[in-house]
Amino acid sequence: MSRKAKGIIGALIALGALVLLALIPGGEKAHFSVAEEFELKPIVKLPELVGIDMSVNKAVVYLWITTAVLVVLAIVISRTLKAHPGRFQAMVELLYELAHDGIVGGVMKSGRRTWFPYIGAVFFFVLASNLIGLLPLPLGEHWQPAYYAATANLYVTLTLALFTFVFTHYAGIRKNGVHYFANWAPASAPPVLKQLIWVIHLVSEIFRLVSLAVRLFANMLAGHAILGVFFGMALIFQSYLAALILQGGSVLIYLFEIFVAFIQAFIFAILSAVYIGGALDQEH
Amino acid sequence: MDAEAAKLLGAGIAMGVGALGPGLGLGMMIGKALESIARQPEVAGDIRTNMFIGIGVTEAVALYAFVVALILIFVA
Repeated sequence: MSRKAKGIIGALIALGALVLLALIPGGEKAHFSVAEEFELKPIVKLPELVGIDMSVNKAVVYLWITTAVLVVLAIVISRTLKAHPGRFQAMVELLYELAHDGIVGGVMKSGRRTWFPYIGAVFFFVLASNLIGLLPLPLGEHWQPAYYAATANLYVTLTLALFTFVFTHYAGIRKNGVHYFANWAPASAPPVLKQLIWVIHLVSEIFRLVSLAVRLFANMLAGHAILGVFFGMALIFQSYLAALILQGGSVLIYLFEIFVAFIQAFIFAILSAVYIGGALDQEH
Repeated sequence: MDAEAAKLLGAGIAMGVGALGPGLGLGMMIGKALESIARQPEVAGDIRTNMFIGIGVTEAVALYAFVVALILIFVA
């Protein structure tokens, strides 16, 4: 039998299998809603403290896990440092080098030693949080494995962005004193235009805070929502064929999400470095 | 058209139109960055870093549209 004939027979068998798969009736119609995956229900109910709900929910548990993983990782790595690094140490060194030379060394002109600890910590925290968000952990409504990420929550990302916002102005005021605010507008500009530029700069500072928070939040939320849609679509279509195709597609989306997790951590850290570096070395 | 249908329609339009501009922008920016890297491979590192900063800023616009779409569906 020639190769061509074999190929045609193989294709026919595959097509037949797909048609057969399409003919098998799917399971019962199941209730599915992506939005429910992102609802925060208290796991441990705690009383309110000055009007703030202190209950432990999914996002809090994810933050604890992220912190625990990072702390354990840091202790283990620092205790077992070797001159000839193994695979794991080499990977962590690569990430550290990216944060130290690529992010801080690449965009900050001064204050590298002072601000590397913050920017490195933010990079590793966001990265760990994003990657842990891609693991299905048994924290669903009925303790079933479910997807969630601490960074897919606006409160978490807004807190991280607030750190950068506060540190930016703290760094600027500490280095440049009262001139920090005066330097927001170019000194050579004519009077009325100068005040206008200053106000525009003030608005842009606030929007930096918002965009830093919303970018990370929306990216992680969108990624998890797309994964949820791909997983849940099989339930809606009630077809094994659709399930096969969508599960295959979800693998590709998952790989893309790993890439996004890295990119978003990188962008968050590098923009923090750009903002803090910009406040330190102002243009006059 | 009832209010629910209008909400869903608005969310769809917000996401679709909102993705248009950033998509064009990202394409242009990454294209230009690749062009410059091809011309001057020795500064590829610098260009790549700046490209990622630009990606972050441009992409945020599409994500605002995404958030607006979510607000239309679930909050409004």
